[in-house]
Amino acid sequence: MASKGSRWAYQEEDAALEAQLKKEKEEKKRQKAEKARKLEAERKKQQQQQQQAHDTAAAPPPPSRPAANHDDNDDAGVSEPYRGGQRDDGNDGAHGPPVKRRRISPDRDTAPTAAAAAPTPNPAGGVGVSDSTSSSSSSKLLRFEGGAFGRCHSVENYDKLNDIEEGAYGWVARAQEAATGKVVALKRLKIDPKDRSGLPVTGLREIQILKDCDHRNVVKLQEVVVGDDTSKIDSIFLVLDFVEHDLKSILEDMPEPFLASEVKTLLLQLASGVAYLHTNWILHRDLKTSNLLLNNRGQLKIADFGMARYVGDPPPAKLTQLVVTLWYRAPELLLGATRYSTAIDMWSVGCIFGELLTREPLLQGKNEVDELTHIFSLCGIPTDDSWPSFRRLPNARALRLPHTSAATGAATGSVIRAKFPLLTAAGVALLNGLLALDPDRRPSARDMLDHEYFRQDPKPKQEAMFPTFPSKAGQERRRRRTTPNAPARGQQAVDLGAVDFSGIFSGRDREERGGGFSLRMV
Amino acid sequence: MSHMTNPLATPDQLYQRRSFSALPTELQDAIFFSAQCLTQAAGVLLHLPQSTTAQANVLLARYWLVEPFMSDDYEFSDMSAATLYLTAKISPTPRSPRDVTNVYTYLLSPSSPFLRPSSLPRAPNIPKTYYLSQASYQAFHARLLAAEAHILYTLSFNTHVALPHAVCITYLQALDFLAQQRKEPLAKRALAHLNTALLSPQMLYLTSQPNALAVAAIYSAARDVGAKMPECEWWEVFDVDREELGFLVVGMRSVLGWARKMRVDVPGMKDGGMLRRADVEGEMRRRGLFLGNGRAVGGEEEDPEAEMARKMDEKMAEMEARG
Ligand SMILES: Nc1ncnc2c1ncn2[C@@H]1O[C@H](COP(=O)(O)OP(=O)(O)O)[C@@H](O)[C@H]1O
Ligand SMILES: [Mg+2]
Repeated sequence: MASKGSRWAYQEEDAALEAQLKKEKEEKKRQKAEKARKLEAERKKQQQQQQQAHDTAAAPPPPSRPAANHDDNDDAGVSEPYRGGQRDDGNDGAHGPPVKRRRISPDRDTAPTAAAAAPTPNPAGGVGVSDSTSSSSSSKLLRFEGGAFGRCHSVENYDKLNDIEEGAYGWVARAQEAATGKVVALKRLKIDPKDRSGLPVTGLREIQILKDCDHRNVVKLQEVVVGDDTSKIDSIFLVLDFVEHDLKSILEDMPEPFLASEVKTLLLQLASGVAYLHTNWILHRDLKTSNLLLNNRGQLKIADFGMARYVGDPPPAKLTQLVVTLWYRAPELLLGATRYSTAIDMWSVGCIFGELLTREPLLQGKNEVDELTHIFSLCGIPTDDSWPSFRRLPNARALRLPHTSAATGAATGSVIRAKFPLLTAAGVALLNGLLALDPDRRPSARDMLDHEYFRQDPKPKQEAMFPTFPSKAGQERRRRRTTPNAPARGQQAVDLGAVDFSGIFSGRDREERGGGFSLRMV
Repeated sequence: MSHMTNPLATPDQLYQRRSFSALPTELQDAIFFSAQCLTQAAGVLLHLPQSTTAQANVLLARYWLVEPFMSDDYEFSDMSAATLYLTAKISPTPRSPRDVTNVYTYLLSPSSPFLRPSSLPRAPNIPKTYYLSQASYQAFHARLLAAEAHILYTLSFNTHVALPHAVCITYLQALDFLAQQRKEPLAKRALAHLNTALLSPQMLYLTSQPNALAVAAIYSAARDVGAKMPECEWWEVFDVDREELGFLVVGMRSVLGWARKMRVDVPGMKDGGMLRRADVEGEMRRRGLFLGNGRAVGGEEEDPEAEMARKMDEKMAEMEARG
């Protein structure tokens, strides 16, 4: 490519000549591309062989990822900003050794493309930049690397191994990249061809958020691929790192619950991932055990960003309250809040905490009202004291709650302590905090990381010491889920109407767990 | 996380565009410029925040670097509409396909003042020229959605754009030597430079990161208002080297002058309005350049007989279209 000459600027009289040259160049380019393709194929084959001999943990990064090359920047020039990785466009096999760091700028004489080809002259000396020349090569400038952009690859590069999840709500399969043998999870984006607004915004957000994320406790998106017919983009797949288990399946199959030390490790990782998301203005909005993955090295990964979105500061004026699977949905959402924040995710974390302890979802309501009933009977009835702003929520006005006089006050509070008799005091404090009715009183994910509970014995178990489980996802099977799902788009938020909760504690003195009451609609 | 970084054009992409495109450079630039202006105009009419419109500008620039002009089947205006629709959709201020369609139909109509040279009299406003029948609406809508999917595919679904505007204001506040200056006009000038840079066919947002763009805009603004800058290489504080700064400053400052000249030099821009594929094809024929079958040059050679017939057909179609 280097010797293509310096004819950057187009001139009228060159037109005819250029047209001719272009044809020749095209032909050469085609031949070159062909050659590159062959090289690439060979390279991939070699790599595959290497990899098979390799310990999987030390596998090289996938070839399509831009390689960082911070340090070969010394000869700063106009070409400087153009460097960065290159997404494979069939060509880069020709550029030297595979996968290693590599330099991508074309040779010097071809580099200043934009400068010379654009309508302005080369800037050298042309700007009034102060001439007090101190050599800038001596100063260390930070380089920002943002990768490159290019077309999607085809899903045909992957061979399906088995279905992981197939149902009304989605399709996830285990698959293998043909060229490298790497095992991945393919998640198909739900697309409704009749949707008059085009590709679903939830799917686009899911992709963008996963692309932006880089954290050990967030599942990694390798790339997005599409079906072979690119004239109409109707099948889109997320290629995710394959993770052996989800917590839901593990909990369902465990004969014995997790040890306290294991619960701590899982919760710490969950909090760490959630803290990362919240720091970066991402609300997950569907945290639950089936969306938490666990690999065979005890590492937890937050997955399923189908409900997630960015929120600014201050948060958007109106968000949909139709988020989060019912059993993990915070009371403010059930009461119709449209302004909510990271605390809704922390409520879900609380529900997950409880589930890790008992292997059972904590608050299994049959519908919104029933869910609130479960919440109030576990966490207590909201009072002006425990949740001052509660009455202002849209669905709260019509609720009839039991009287909370001094006499009954004790009996309408939280029963978390009693429900988890084996949990330490610090553990109860944390769980109580996460399940605080008032969102403002829930700890943030950062707060949670510093909680006393994790410092007390038994200490969190090292991830590497985690027990291993048989992977369901690794086998052929069709799973049936009994858990409800996050609300679907277009669904209507329920108006709870007038609901009478006043009787829900009537049986409590007889029954420790607060079950067995009934709810009256008035 | 990448609030400060964008994916950038690779040297190879830039090289390909300049060397292998079927179109002469100044035609490419004219298409690029008019489409970016169209996006801006539509953003204003749709009451979109400039940050949203600017992101659409950047996505469109990226798209055309991967998918050369004329190699897809879309009008340039379709791609402008689709990028804007897409960017708004994933932003806090989505716009309906209906609104987008209406605005583009108006901007592309003879009643619109869009890119109309000041030498020409103001176009009379004739609502009939931008009335949209149900059939045309459905056709536009279908193209919009198809183009949206095509853009996403072409950019591997990466819609991330980090804009330099906020960074620019932060830097301005941090700069001591500008303390005596009234910051407001300075900030305004700097932001104006950043917005102008979106229109530059040098694709500055594809060659430089936000920090560099911000510093170049501040440098230009300081020059505009005659602020005295220190002797030291202050831009290095913001991790920008002198050469990149120079390149960007020249790039930013030359856009307007270049645009003025281009609008005189490039036929098809003279009468105002958005460039269409037909304009470009017509111009290529006028220059005796071969565009292949709408793909990049280098496809199968057409047999002269067939080519003649095709050209006549196109001419007829064009005359009918111009009506
Ligand atoms: N990266 C992955 N590796 C292995 N299994 C996965 C992966 N991602 C998802 N799964 C499995 O697929 C299920 C559904 O995936 P999820 O992303 O939650 O999609 P949905 O939106 O359909 O709930 C998960 O509960 C998990 O069992
Ligand atoms: Mg899920």
